[in-house]
Amino acid sequence: MKREYKDLKELKLAKTKGESPKILHSEDLNPEYLAFQEDISFLESRIIELENTLKNVELIKPPKKQNIVDLGATVLVEVDGQNDEFTLVGSLEANPTVGKISNESPVGHALLGHQVGDNVVVSSPIQTTYKIKKIKYHLS
Amino acid sequence: MKELLNFFIEVGKLKRKFRKGWLVHGIKNSESTAEHIFRMTIIAWVLGKNKKLNMEKVIKIALVHDLCEVYAPDMTPYDPLLPRDRKKAMEILKKWPKFTPSLKIKKYKNKYKIELLALKRLVSRLPLHLKKEILNLWLEFEKGLTKEGRFVKQVDKVENLLQGMEYWKKHGKIQHKLWMRWAKEILDDPVLIEFMRTLEEKFCKKCEY
Repeated sequence: MKREYKDLKELKLAKTKGESPKILHSEDLNPEYLAFQEDISFLESRIIELENTLKNVELIKPPKKQNIVDLGATVLVEVDGQNDEFTLVGSLEANPTVGKISNESPVGHALLGHQVGDNVVVSSPIQTTYKIKKIKYHLS
Repeated sequence: MKELLNFFIEVGKLKRKFRKGWLVHGIKNSESTAEHIFRMTIIAWVLGKNKKLNMEKVIKIALVHDLCEVYAPDMTPYDPLLPRDRKKAMEILKKWPKFTPSLKIKKYKNKYKIELLALKRLVSRLPLHLKKEILNLWLEFEKGLTKEGRFVKQVDKVENLLQGMEYWKKHGKIQHKLWMRWAKEILDDPVLIEFMRTLEEKFCKKCEY
């Protein structure tokens, strides 16, 4: 993330360093100027996003009790007769398509603090039970 | 102007592109991609109103998020598991598709590549600034680069969930319990979680499990 931030800052600097396209082309708005503005605005919004994240960042260390589900844990569960695996991450990193679910999702939140063998019930009004079969942490 | 007209004609094809996810469930006359985009944009606007978001961006992201489907296939979470045999396919649809972590990543990357290529093809003849704007908005959505992109990504799932529950009420055929389970794993925005709970109350209060 720090590398992306540094690269984007450099890219923005490189783009704005040279002569920027003129706003008008004859009497019309210069399309190159609009495209340039689009690039800058895209870079700026991502840079602001990264700045905010990096300002508030807190590195997750594996908890002392590695048999308990916490942020960063990869949890193997049995649900509705099927095995499934999630890694619990913060909201910014969540990507359920690749198995990274947010700790603020109803299931992610419910799994926190539980250990192997626990049956975690997520209800209201449909009830689903997640049986925790394995917990592992990749960080050391 | 000619290039813009051609672009609008191509985008219009989404009015007649029926969503594959419903077709595989045997839903006849299912919604089109354009219909999904329409309601999703309304949901994003209304539910996003009180959040600290750039609403113009939210609405634009919702409008462009599926434009790639003019040329890209509409992929479902079940791809490539579904056989042509209808009975076997219905059996597979009873469970949520499960893949190994590495296969999940492979599928995700493959989908991204196909859709990006399709979107680039669609916008290739547009004026440069418009082309860049559409591609950037799509990237914000697809990669979750901004809070607007991440919010709309979840709204996409919420609209899908609402449509799924409506089809379940009307036709059966949809595994509603699986859909609710899926939603509780993927949604983390407080407003959208509250909306999901309201939806669950309305559709599932008297369900038998």
